[in-house]
Amino acid sequence: MNESPFENLRLELRRGCLVLAVLAQLRAEHYGYTLRKALSEDGLEIEESTLYPLLRRLETQGLLTSEWREEEKRNKRFYRLSKDGKVVLKQLLEEWREMGASLDRILKEVKV
Amino acid sequence: MNLLNRYLQAVARLLPKARRDDIIAELRANILSQMEDREEALGRPLTEDEQAEILRRHGNPTLVAGRYREGNLGLAFGVQLIGPELFPFYRNILFLNMGITLLILFPVSFIGRAVFPSIFIPLVMQVTIITLIFSLLNRYKVLDKWDPRKLPELKAVAEDGPTGRNIFEFVSLAVGTAWLALTPKWPYLMLGPGALWLPSLDVKAFSRWPLFYGAIVALLCAEVVLRFFTLFRWMPRARARIADLVLRVAGVTVLTLLFFQGPHFISTSDPDVTEWANQTFQWCIAIAALIHLWRAGWLFFSLLRDRHQMLPARQY
Repeated sequence: MNESPFENLRLELRRGCLVLAVLAQLRAEHYGYTLRKALSEDGLEIEESTLYPLLRRLETQGLLTSEWREEEKRNKRFYRLSKDGKVVLKQLLEEWREMGASLDRILKEVKV
Repeated sequence: MNLLNRYLQAVARLLPKARRDDIIAELRANILSQMEDREEALGRPLTEDEQAEILRRHGNPTLVAGRYREGNLGLAFGVQLIGPELFPFYRNILFLNMGITLLILFPVSFIGRAVFPSIFIPLVMQVTIITLIFSLLNRYKVLDKWDPRKLPELKAVAEDGPTGRNIFEFVSLAVGTAWLALTPKWPYLMLGPGALWLPSLDVKAFSRWPLFYGAIVALLCAEVVLRFFTLFRWMPRARARIADLVLRVAGVTVLTLLFFQGPHFISTSDPDVTEWANQTFQWCIAIAALIHLWRAGWLFFSLLRDRHQMLPARQY
């Protein structure tokens, strides 16, 4: 029943990426289910029970705003990146690119 | 949708009360969208097995509710023993068990004059056993193996409809209102045999008392009617709460005006007793006004919260 070290490391790696992906995807407004679908269509599968509480946490941190609105005869909670969220996303993306570039250089050196 | 309602009921039971309705409404909207998408893809309604599969993949209600809880605490000694989803339940059960153990053992040990070891050992055992159980649940992912079809049946929402509590409240209010309305005609309803001495005391209420008394009785009658309608669900819950709020605000207004009308009783026979009666009456008015104010505030904020959600407070 032990999870392999790869699985643990993969989960750890994904955890940080998920926040970044969710923030990036919420530059356009979504409610929970369509957000999950949009992420999935872009190749990032995420469990509902992970995504929906994550949205709440990000909203509590002030990175997202939300509002209840009726769509297709049903009330849904729509999320969108807040003003602070945009700033944080920009910073995170810079960090992500720098890390990616560093990793590329390291991998290149290893290859040589 | 019975299965979905049972699932949401099971999740709701484990969520913090303050955020429960909001989270459940959101989960409902998301899961229904997912089910509709699936139906569209299949070109037919989902079978119960297919609905169950969607819910099973959505996650065990305990784990789903655990992820909504504040904080991200877990228990780890090198390796993670209890994950953040289970930790809130582990902590609650641990505290409950330890509380009960202390409550039972402390007096017993105190009588036996051997407090420390006799309490310490059972507590350590409790912590060990509960931690072991939760660690095993976490390690073998026991909660992942579950069947939505075995979820408990739906329970009636206790706040609405003709429940024992609601019937009792309605009857008490109706009897109380009738009692207050009949008291001027039959004072012995309030004073008992003492009513026979009332004429000799030469006590009179202040001149505007009939106006206030009429307003209070009218408000109580309106509340009886409102309770009657809500008892049989003849009025939408949100509308009933707005009507309740209006009555409470009217109640606070009448009681506040009444408070500042004093002295409420005038008597030439015994000034001390009259002063005591006036003070007591004012205290009673103040307490009644505060109770109404508290209820009005609670209704106002709950309506505001539900308006923000654009949803009835409970849908599961």
